[in-house]
Amino acid sequence: MKRETIRIKEWISDLQDLYFLSFQGILGLVRRPFYSKDVIDQMDYSGAGSFFIILLIALFIGMALSLQLSAELSGMGFKMYIGRIVGVAIIREIGPVLAALVFAGRVGSGMASELGSMTLGHQVDTLRVFGVDPVRKLVTPRLLGCLIMVPALTITGDAVSILGGYYIAVFVSHQSSAVYWSSIQDVLNFENVVSGFVKPFIFAYLIACISCYMGLSTKGGAVGLRRATTRAVVASFIMIIVADFILTRILFYVLGFSL
Amino acid sequence: MIVFDRVSFSYGIQEVLRDLSFSIRFNQRVAILGGSGDGKTTLLKLIVGLLRPDSGRIVIDGKDITDKKEDELREIRTKFSIVFQEGALFDSLNVKENVAFGLREYTKMTEEEIDQKVRELLGEVGLEHAIELMPEELSGGMLRRVAIMRSLAAFDPKMFLYDEATTGLDPVNADIICKLILDLTRGGKGFIIVTHKVFDALRLAERFMFLKNGSIIFDGNKDQLMQSSVPEIQVFLKELKLPLATPSRQGEG
Repeated sequence: MKRETIRIKEWISDLQDLYFLSFQGILGLVRRPFYSKDVIDQMDYSGAGSFFIILLIALFIGMALSLQLSAELSGMGFKMYIGRIVGVAIIREIGPVLAALVFAGRVGSGMASELGSMTLGHQVDTLRVFGVDPVRKLVTPRLLGCLIMVPALTITGDAVSILGGYYIAVFVSHQSSAVYWSSIQDVLNFENVVSGFVKPFIFAYLIACISCYMGLSTKGGAVGLRRATTRAVVASFIMIIVADFILTRILFYVLGFSL
Repeated sequence: MIVFDRVSFSYGIQEVLRDLSFSIRFNQRVAILGGSGDGKTTLLKLIVGLLRPDSGRIVIDGKDITDKKEDELREIRTKFSIVFQEGALFDSLNVKENVAFGLREYTKMTEEEIDQKVRELLGEVGLEHAIELMPEELSGGMLRRVAIMRSLAAFDPKMFLYDEATTGLDPVNADIICKLILDLTRGGKGFIIVTHKVFDALRLAERFMFLKNGSIIFDGNKDQLMQSSVPEIQVFLKELKLPLATPSRQGEG
């Protein structure tokens, strides 16, 4: 019984620490010292490194979505809606979630394992001995890197997905190019753009905070490092999906989408 | 002076240190011996406030640090120079940047002055040639030497804390590190070294403490240690009495 009580206390303490870390990480954005070189390093690692992976996945998702819609809508005579559905699905939903999931898998796991290794190797303790706040030095640059790169990659991925959809709609499904682009222009309205632009910031925040927390709380050698990395990816995936639903509901309400 | 007054510490449900009480002067040369998982590294971390005890008091240089906040501990930490196991150099920085780290954080030295100081420090341990190398390119002995110089660069510590400074090193490198540790005590500064290598401990220290299951089961000088009848210490001392291997006859093996 005592063991269970302690586990529950540890779990609550973990949640508190995660909340505290995410708050401190944000606070680091507006407080000195500011480690700008670390931010650029993080942007390079997380953004440039994920660029081609996200573009490749986005291209094929856009093409597959367009292909599925062509097959389904052609029979009903609604082929002219391919562009509209591709646009809405990519901008509002698939683009942000896809970019975030790829980012969590590639960058989040990297962050957790890097910080975990630093924790186990006493590098984080060494920072503290030198009077350097590990949150400002390690978490804030990663958080800022994510906050900049996830939205940027999402927008780029959206554009490539739409281009992939265009290729299938026009060259495979033989839809008019003008109709496709006019549908895309229609869906590029304020509500859809805001809806697709808010989500990546929230996802970036979740990925950075969860991954950094899992890394910094690593215990127990190589097995602990493996556990921390896995937990970072799994927790990020779950939180992205859950947050996506909650955000969609909130944005529907705020932006006045009718159901 | 470092004072531990009935200090206990646990990692979750695992109790690591139990009701520990002792005092160590800054100029003493102390070896803390014990097996793996007996709380030796935890003890060092408690001294510099990297961990907070569950109960009891820790007093450093007359100041109770038990409940101090991170910012308040900064001054306490400058009294110590701590070298963690395997050096704990920052992987992403080269040797020069590692040694310069504290200088950049703590001083307002220009880049030229930092460069000069780093070269000077590395020169003292014969590592000027390694200034541009990354940590993964260094041997275990070089890692320890760089770490010791890094810990010295920015502060003028009152005491050195070494976590398994010679563990995993070959006898030649262990000897270099031991000499360096002794050299650094010449100004009357003491150290605490936690180790399970009794040979190195006997060479370096004047006071020996033995940790077992979170408690100190021995605290005394070299003669007392050598004559101790504590079974755990006897096991450690066996390392000193290992018979030399009989050389094989020519043509064999």
